[in-house]
Amino acid sequence: MEGFLADHKSHLGLVSLEVPLISNLPVWSNIALIRQYHENMPWEEAKTLALDLLRRFGVAATAEKRNPSLTAEERFCIMLIRAAMVRDAVVVLDRPFRIFPDLPDGRFFMDSLRKVDDLIAEAHFFDYNWEKERYGATDDAEN
Amino acid sequence: MITTIENIGKAFLSKILPLRGTLQFATRVFLNIFDRRTYNSASRMVFIHQFYFTSVQILPLFLFVAVIFGSLINGMAFQVVKNLGLSDYLGRLLMGFVVTELSPFVTVLLIALRSSSAINAEIAVMKVSRELNTLESFRIDLIHYLFIPRILNGMLSMVLLTSLFALVVLSIGLLVSSLVFGTSVDAYIDTLLHSADVLDIVILLIKCAAFGFFITLIPIRLGLNASQELTSIPVAVLNGMVKVFLAIVTIEALSSILRFI
Amino acid sequence: MTQRIEFKVGLFITITSFLIMASIGYVAYKKGMFSKVYTYTLSSHTGENLTEGMPVAVWGFTIGRVSSLELNDQGTVLIRIKIPERHIRMIRADSKFVLDKPLIGSPRILVKTTNLNGLPLSPLTIPELTESNDINEIIKRAQPIIDKADRIMANIEGITANLADPKGDVNRILRDAEALVARFSKRDSLLEMVVGDPESVKSIHESLKKLRDITARADGILQRVDGMAVKADGILQRVDGMAGKTDEELYGRDGVLPQFRNILRDLLAKLAKIDATFDNINKISTEAADSTKDLKALRNELDETIQTIRDLADEIERMIPFKTKPEIKLP
Repeated sequence: MEGFLADHKSHLGLVSLEVPLISNLPVWSNIALIRQYHENMPWEEAKTLALDLLRRFGVAATAEKRNPSLTAEERFCIMLIRAAMVRDAVVVLDRPFRIFPDLPDGRFFMDSLRKVDDLIAEAHFFDYNWEKERYGATDDAEN
Repeated sequence: MITTIENIGKAFLSKILPLRGTLQFATRVFLNIFDRRTYNSASRMVFIHQFYFTSVQILPLFLFVAVIFGSLINGMAFQVVKNLGLSDYLGRLLMGFVVTELSPFVTVLLIALRSSSAINAEIAVMKVSRELNTLESFRIDLIHYLFIPRILNGMLSMVLLTSLFALVVLSIGLLVSSLVFGTSVDAYIDTLLHSADVLDIVILLIKCAAFGFFITLIPIRLGLNASQELTSIPVAVLNGMVKVFLAIVTIEALSSILRFI
Repeated sequence: MTQRIEFKVGLFITITSFLIMASIGYVAYKKGMFSKVYTYTLSSHTGENLTEGMPVAVWGFTIGRVSSLELNDQGTVLIRIKIPERHIRMIRADSKFVLDKPLIGSPRILVKTTNLNGLPLSPLTIPELTESNDINEIIKRAQPIIDKADRIMANIEGITANLADPKGDVNRILRDAEALVARFSKRDSLLEMVVGDPESVKSIHESLKKLRDITARADGILQRVDGMAVKADGILQRVDGMAGKTDEELYGRDGVLPQFRNILRDLLAKLAKIDATFDNINKISTEAADSTKDLKALRNELDETIQTIRDLADEIERMIPFKTKPEIKLP
């Protein structure tokens, strides 16, 4: 996984518990930050974009909330939107069941990825072998 | 004997190495201030928020402190000057002590107590909760996004708040002067002008900027020293604040040497 | 939220920056940083003690600064000074420029203008910079003091050498002092130590005892003289009672009364002398000899007075035989 991340560093959009949301920023700012920093997008524009994406996921109400007050589902969605904010993003979902452990399978993740399909270039799941079935995969997955 | 010398050397190096690290870090940060990439929308927003918390939010308290200090210091200074018959030195006392020494000192104490401790804790928490990893994984430079806005805010806040403090104190001085000595506005301003030295003002501004730089840089640096454990946060804050105090004393001493040489 | 913060931050920065800029601008304006500045050139044969930024002062007030120094082809140093327009009145055609090198403090250029209404100095004129050297003046004045100090030092050196020499004066004095202390510890009294002879001490003690007796007797004299004065008053009253006697006998040139007045005057003078003598007696421990002399003189004078008063009494007795013998007690 480290090798893959290094190869795609310039477009990497990581969704992982290892890269949590910034707790002293509101949700919209966590998302807008990526475009603001890399593209020098004005904060108003970046905020609008973030709010639009939050609406796609039905979590617009969380825009002014901060990380500790989010549910697991909201947290996952926001992390995914943030990853999708990277231009031509190569989204990597690192052990997403750790973020949202209550899910029986990986359909929720697939559905979520579809919502930001227009923003991302690639999406990759990295998880333990024993979680393979939860994704409905039959062939060997990367660990 | 050899062991004692070794111990002395070890103690010296253990003190000097972190200082060297801090100075290297300071140099890196300072050079990045002039990097154009630092000034993006995200950094600007951080700067604005930091400035708001450091300077604007504190303003009512700061003005209150300035008025109280101004009244006390002016009252004491004017009485001493009057009793000793040293009215001629009033201007020098106000410009040389109140404006160039007292104003930055009170301001730096207020900012250090309020903002430096907050920055120290904030960075330590971000380190413990792996939020710094987040920024790095999204290729957000910590120095550009996190450190420089805070440091610039510290520098600008120090300069502006010190000037504001000095203006408030001098305005109160005018009031006290007219009450104690019956001095006119023109005479008071002339007294101040006679003692005002452009070089002193330049040194004052540089000193304020240096204060601002170090009282934000040191908490950041010490905050980064926190480990992954929550218990390391108070330790980092404690160390950071002690070092901030030492930095304040050092800068104060250096500026005095610079002024009086 | 962010917009509100941006507005507040912007407002604060604007107001504070404006206040600071206005203050600095005001100071700069008042300090003449925006006013027109005139440049004058001075010449000097040396550039020693001249520096850029050196103040130019009139009557102790700095009115300008040296802006540049330049050495021209003729080997003359050209000094450019900048004077703000508001001080231009101090620079006149007859102004003298003096390089002042005070003993304490940095050198400066002093402008000495006698007539402020004189013609202004043309920027094309190059006056010469003269020199006033406080240090050399002070050295010149201090030379005699230094010479004297040299002599003192030589003397001190001599004394030190003497001190170090075992046969020198100081060591001799110390030896004598030692002997003196030894004697002091052996003799009975300080006086004996001073005169060095017990017989002399005894004699001095006896003299002092006599002196005390003399003092007691002098006290007695004073009391008797006082009594005499009282009696003399009585005589005066009696003389007044002799108004029936012939005027010539009483008031003539050699009459009783004029003689009596003379005696009284004499008596008063004697009393004054007795007072002085008693003062001397008080100082007897230090001026014993003088006092004794005074006492002898007093004795003689008192004898004379007594004699005169006796004569007066006889005269009165002769003139007034029917009167009872006056009681005049004499010492």
